[in-house]
Amino acid sequence: MGAKKFYYDHDRLGALVNFLWDNIFKRLEREQDIGAILANNILFRNLSKSELKFIEKIIHIRKYRAGETIFRQNENGVGMYIVVKGRVDISIIDEILLEPNTEKEVVVTRLEPGDFFGELSLVEEISRRSATAISSEDTVLIGFFKPDLLEILERSPSIGVKVVFRLAEVLGRRLKETTEKISQLKKEIRLLGELHEVQHDTRSATPENR
Amino acid sequence: MTPDQQRQKIVKRERWIKLTIVAVILISALVVLLAIPGMLVSFLIAFVITYLFKPPVNYLERMGVGRTIAILIPFIVLGGIIATSSSILIPKAADQISALQLELPKYIKGVSDITIRHTKKFNSALSQFSSVNLSEKIELWLQGASGSLLISIPNWVTQLFTTMILAPFFAFFMLRDGREISRQLLGFVPNHLFELSLNLMYQINQQLGGFIRARLLESVIVGVVVWLGLSIMGFPYSAILAVFAGLTNLIPYIGPIIGAVPAIIVAMVNQEGGTSTIALVGLVYLIAQIVDMLVIIPLVIAKIVDLHPVTVVIVIITGGQFMGVLGMIISIPVASIIKLTFTVFYNHVVDFRS
Repeated sequence: MGAKKFYYDHDRLGALVNFLWDNIFKRLEREQDIGAILANNILFRNLSKSELKFIEKIIHIRKYRAGETIFRQNENGVGMYIVVKGRVDISIIDEILLEPNTEKEVVVTRLEPGDFFGELSLVEEISRRSATAISSEDTVLIGFFKPDLLEILERSPSIGVKVVFRLAEVLGRRLKETTEKISQLKKEIRLLGELHEVQHDTRSATPENR
Repeated sequence: MTPDQQRQKIVKRERWIKLTIVAVILISALVVLLAIPGMLVSFLIAFVITYLFKPPVNYLERMGVGRTIAILIPFIVLGGIIATSSSILIPKAADQISALQLELPKYIKGVSDITIRHTKKFNSALSQFSSVNLSEKIELWLQGASGSLLISIPNWVTQLFTTMILAPFFAFFMLRDGREISRQLLGFVPNHLFELSLNLMYQINQQLGGFIRARLLESVIVGVVVWLGLSIMGFPYSAILAVFAGLTNLIPYIGPIIGAVPAIIVAMVNQEGGTSTIALVGLVYLIAQIVDMLVIIPLVIAKIVDLHPVTVVIVIITGGQFMGVLGMIISIPVASIIKLTFTVFYNHVVDFRS
C-alpha cells in the first residue's frame, strides 16, 4: 500500500515536472522564435540587441486559430503584422463580377513565417485595409501598430527613425515593383492589341474582298 | 460537424472566455476603487500626476537617461519643491489658520449681523407674518457647522496625508509599468476586437492627457491672478484664498463662484473699506475669470470633444448626483471618454466601400 502510494505520487510529480518543463521550455522557445523573427525582419534588421529588446517590450503577440480572420478588406487598420508561426492567406474581394450577384474573394498570396503585411496602415492617417487576411492554420503573429511606433519615436527617436527609414524603403520597393508590373502589363496589352489587329487584317484580306 | 464548423465553435467559445476575463478584470478594478474610501481620490490624483509627468519623463528618456531614473527625477524635484515650499508656507499657513480660528467667531457674528439686518428689513416688509427668529437660528447653525468643521480638520488632514503618500506611489508605478499592464490587458482581448481596443486606448490616452494638462494650467493661471490681485489690494489671507480659488476653478460652472465666496464674506465682514472693498474683490475674481476664459477657450475647448452645451450641463449634474463635487470635476472627461469609445467603435465597425 505504501509502495503503491509512493509510485502514484512519483508519477504525479513526474507529470507535474513534465508540464512545467514543457510550458517553460515552450515559452522560452516561443520567445526565442519571436526574437529571431523580429531581428530578421527588414524593418528591424539594423538594430542592436538592446534596441531589439526595447522593441520586443512594445510589440504585441497575437494568436489565431485556423480560419480566424485577422482583418477584413475596408476595415479600419491600425498597424502591421509579422508571421512568426503558421500561414496567412491574403485575399481581395474582386469587384469585377464574373457572375451577377456573386462577389468573388480571390486569394492573392499565401504568407509564411517571416513575411509581413499591413505595413501601409502604419503611416496612413485614416487607413482602410486593402485586402482581407485570414489565417489558414494555427498562427502566431507579431503586431506592430501606429501607437507603438509613435511611442518609440517619443521615447527613443534614434530607434524610431531607423525603423521609419526601413519602412519607407519597404514601401518604396513595393511601389517600384508595382510600377514595373504595370509597364509589363501595358506591354502585354499592346502586344495583344497588335496581334488582334494583324489577325483582323489577315482575315479582312479574304477571297471576298479581292 | 465539419472540422471548419468545429473550429468556428472553438473560436467563438474562446472569444467569450476572453471577453469575460477582460470584463471581470475591469469591473473588479472599478469595484475596488469605488468601495474603499479614499482609494478613488488617491487613484485620480495619481492619474493626474502621471499625465503631468509623462512629457518630462519622456524628454529625459530621449536624452538618454534610463527609464526608471527618468521617472524618479520629476518625483524628486517635485518632492524638493513641496519640501521647500512647505517649510516656508506651513508656518505661514499655520499662522493664518490660528488667526482664522481666533477671528472665526467675529466672522460668524458678522455674517449673522448682516443676516439680522436683512431679515429685519424682510420682516418689516412682511409684518403680517410672525417674524421667525431667523437670525438666532442662523447663528446657532453657523456655530455648529464651523465647530464640526474645526473638529473634522485633523481627520481631514490624516486622510490628506494618506492620499499624499498613496498617490505618488501609484503614479510612480503607473509611469513605469503602465504600458506593460495595458499591453497584458490587451493580450486578453479577443482577436476580433483587438485593433479596435488598441486604437481606443491610444485615443483615450491622448485626449485625457491633453484635457488634464489644460485644466491644471487653467487652475494655476486663475490662482496666480487672484493671488496677485488680492496681494496688491492688501487683502488678508491672499495665499489661502488664491489656492482655494485655483482648486475650485476645477469645478465646472459653479466653481469660480464658490471660489469667490470666502473672499466676499471676508470683505463684507471686515467692512473697513465699505462697499468699495467688496467691489474690488469681486473685480479681482472677475479679471481672473476673464483671463481664464481668454486662455482657456483656445486651449481647452479644442481638447474637450465636441459635446453639446446641453449635454455638458446634463453630464455635470449627473456627475454631481452620483459622486458630489468629485463627480462634477471628473464628469466631463468621463463623458468625453464615453463619446470617444462610441466614435472609435463606430468607425471600426461600419464598413465604407468606396
